[in-house]
Amino acid sequence: MLDINTKKLMKNAYRITKHRGITALRVRVLGGGLDAGYLDVIKAIAERFGNGKVHITTRQGFEIPGIPMEKIPGVNRLLAPVIQGLEVEMGVGIADVNGGYPAAGTRNVSACIGNSVCPFANFNTTELAGKIEKLIYPNDFHVKIAVTGCPNDCIKAHMQDIGVIGLVLPVYDPGRCMGCGACVKNCRKVASGALEMVNYKVRRDHRRCLGCGECVLKCPTSAWTRGDQYYRLVIMGRTGKKNPRLARTFLEWVNEGAVLKVIGNMYGYIEKYIDRSLPKEHVGYIVDRTGLPVFSQEVLQGIELGSLGRAAGFIPFGGYTY
Amino acid sequence: MSNPYLPFRAAIIEVRRETAVDFTYRLEADMQVAGGQFVEVSIPGVGEAPISVSDFGDGWIEMTIRRVGRLTNVIHHLRPGNSLFIRGTYGRGFPLERYAGKDLIIAAGGTGLAPVKSLLNRYGGNPGEVKSLTLLAGFKTPADILFRDEIERWRRQHRVEITVDRDDAGGWPGRVGLITGLIAREPISQPENTVVIVVGPPAMMKFSTLEFIKRGIKQENIWVSFERKMCCGIGKCGHCKIDGAYVCLEGPVLNYTTAGRLMD
Amino acid sequence: MAYWLDMDSFNGILKELSADNVVYAPVKMTGKGAFSGTDLVAYREISGVEQIEFKEKSRFSPKEIVFPITQTLLYFTEEEYAVPGTGEKGIIVFCRPCDVNAFKRLDEIFLRNGGRVDSYYRELREKVRFFVIECAESFDSCFCVSMGTNRADGYDVFIRAAGGGFLCDVRGDLATLFEKFGGPAEMSLRFIEENKTKVSIPESVDQSVFGHGIWREYASRCIACGRCTVSCPTCSCFTMQDIFYEDNPNRGERRRVWASCMIDGFTAMAGGHGFREDHGDRMRFKLMHKISDFRKRFGYNMCVGCGRCDDVCPEYISFARAINRVDALMKEAVENV
Repeated sequence: MLDINTKKLMKNAYRITKHRGITALRVRVLGGGLDAGYLDVIKAIAERFGNGKVHITTRQGFEIPGIPMEKIPGVNRLLAPVIQGLEVEMGVGIADVNGGYPAAGTRNVSACIGNSVCPFANFNTTELAGKIEKLIYPNDFHVKIAVTGCPNDCIKAHMQDIGVIGLVLPVYDPGRCMGCGACVKNCRKVASGALEMVNYKVRRDHRRCLGCGECVLKCPTSAWTRGDQYYRLVIMGRTGKKNPRLARTFLEWVNEGAVLKVIGNMYGYIEKYIDRSLPKEHVGYIVDRTGLPVFSQEVLQGIELGSLGRAAGFIPFGGYTY
Repeated sequence: MSNPYLPFRAAIIEVRRETAVDFTYRLEADMQVAGGQFVEVSIPGVGEAPISVSDFGDGWIEMTIRRVGRLTNVIHHLRPGNSLFIRGTYGRGFPLERYAGKDLIIAAGGTGLAPVKSLLNRYGGNPGEVKSLTLLAGFKTPADILFRDEIERWRRQHRVEITVDRDDAGGWPGRVGLITGLIAREPISQPENTVVIVVGPPAMMKFSTLEFIKRGIKQENIWVSFERKMCCGIGKCGHCKIDGAYVCLEGPVLNYTTAGRLMD
Repeated sequence: MAYWLDMDSFNGILKELSADNVVYAPVKMTGKGAFSGTDLVAYREISGVEQIEFKEKSRFSPKEIVFPITQTLLYFTEEEYAVPGTGEKGIIVFCRPCDVNAFKRLDEIFLRNGGRVDSYYRELREKVRFFVIECAESFDSCFCVSMGTNRADGYDVFIRAAGGGFLCDVRGDLATLFEKFGGPAEMSLRFIEENKTKVSIPESVDQSVFGHGIWREYASRCIACGRCTVSCPTCSCFTMQDIFYEDNPNRGERRRVWASCMIDGFTAMAGGHGFREDHGDRMRFKLMHKISDFRKRFGYNMCVGCGRCDDVCPEYISFARAINRVDALMKEAVENV
């Protein structure tokens, strides 16, 4: 006699699958990076309780299919070291590591590989993903967040409710510039054409600058160096049946504090405005209902934009309907 | 401490139009010049460029300047009474002592005629210095022919053959064809007693020199004048270095035994 | 004379010297590397010995102290021009033996080549005193021993960082100052006697190597960014630039800035014609200058084997290996004769 509370099962990060009585576990891999040792746990769960297969999800987690629903408690106990290592030790508040994941609504915070490997990355994406996870998990609201090291956006931050893109303010020392023009040419070619040569030295138009840091990378003399670290926040990108669209810039040239605060505030906004008559409502659709000004007013509370920071007053989200 | 980069102001005394894009400027300047040498010419705020001295005399020098860039565009707006800044003269010119008593053939392509102009004038006034002088000059089109008046004067003093690569407009009564054709047909009675100067664009110099060698001229009797990017003119900036030589120091006039061996 | 000084005494010396000197040393600047989370080691003015980076090789050489990346030659107005001064202070440069040898090569070009003295260079160069940092260990890319530049002469102070303090061999008039702050010590100078990287310099290079396929290979690899030449302690090419002030177009400056034979436009004449468009040709030109052309004029090689060009090449082209390849090609050519 199989009697399952599907709501609880799903909240525990398991899924109702097409095979009756068979579930699949979704393992969160914070920022997409983990010590290789955890793979042993994944392997053990798949082989002992699942069908021996592991699916790698788009959000950088592992989905372990073929698990009989009655095995869930056993799976959760086996999973404990993963939750301990990838969540609790990152500062995420989870009381019982043996009970599996306490929530699944707010999805795994994914991240590109960041500056631990990538030359283009402007910061440590894994670290920020950890700080965000700590701030928002566990939570049942259906929110997708991703963190990417530079405007190349390899993690597809533009497909998230909140996409965090790392920027750097390039600092120019004209005395060190030999006028080779490598930065100017490159910016025109791969970025936004924010640089031009004036009197054999480079002039940067901050309004056009993406903060990608390409000029710093291309400069042979270190005339361009890294200044302060900033972020661009793109919001409300999504796939789905109703209105797929890319996220658009909400904030740019803001610091980490502002990023974290906006994300935290967003949960208050959802709490306040979510349509509770629905089984779930994605935050993007809430913003569609309330309009951006209401969202802005809620999430920008207590935010210091700083001298460079800018917030969008109006966002033509666009996208399309099928 | 003497500063080799300091230019001095030189007043423009005369401007002569040679072609639509080439003008000759006579400057008031008291300088020691050997034909083939160059000066660094500048306008503060615009830039500086090496320009060969095309002619010189007591208290003056002349340069024939083609409008090809930022600086020369501005120079072309100057009139007598305006001035230019110059420093120099730099480089080595033509070793006239090596030409004494010889049959001298000068092959010039386009603006390459400018650095040898003073030689043509000099030998016009002192015909005994060389045994004979022949000028073979090639231009792109008849409209590009420089020093038309002087050429007419030289015709009375030296053997002069002019050719143009093409005659688009029509009506050019002279030869059409590359200068190498002139060299191939040039009567050279005593190759061993003939000395040659080749000045012009890189490709013209290369093929003309090969043609002269084919005609039996010894390599040590051929001189070329190199054109390179130069900023300082005094062997510091490095732009004109080829192999172990600096064009601004050992050149621009180089004997072919040196020039031909430079590996770039 | 040799002296031992702890950090405070050394800083006492620096403080006294700073009254009449500007002191430059390799400094590690946190977060200033091109990649995020990396540091930059380069020459900066210092006030204390603790600022000096003794462990890592600097990305840029000390040449920029006497041959600044951008240097104003003349200020001009409509009517006249003025030459900027360089101040009264002397210059102290902390650098390694290879870099001291590199200055000798710069001197050759700026003070002697062509018989004219570059007054701007001389004015700065005459003020320089070297405080040589002893190389305790060779870095992987160094090949100073092959180039004969592992030893340094012509210094005022030779420093070994040891036991939390500094052992210094002092020459000339600075001895009085060191005596005041330090205690007498014994010191025998140590130089690097072997590098991991070794090069063999060909006695001559002929046309057969010039036309060889390796340059086509380098052409396909080199991106002509110029990092090798910019980091090179002996590259001394520059370009002149005239600028006018935007708020007063009648006033301006004539400057010189570093130029690189690897970067587009180096040989481009007015009108656009250039001589070495191919990146492999540029690589060969640079290599020939460093190991042959300079020697033809001055009797010794230009390259000092600091290995910075290998450290900084984003395309992982090893200049040291290129030298060895050219040498091997020449040996092959000789054998085949």
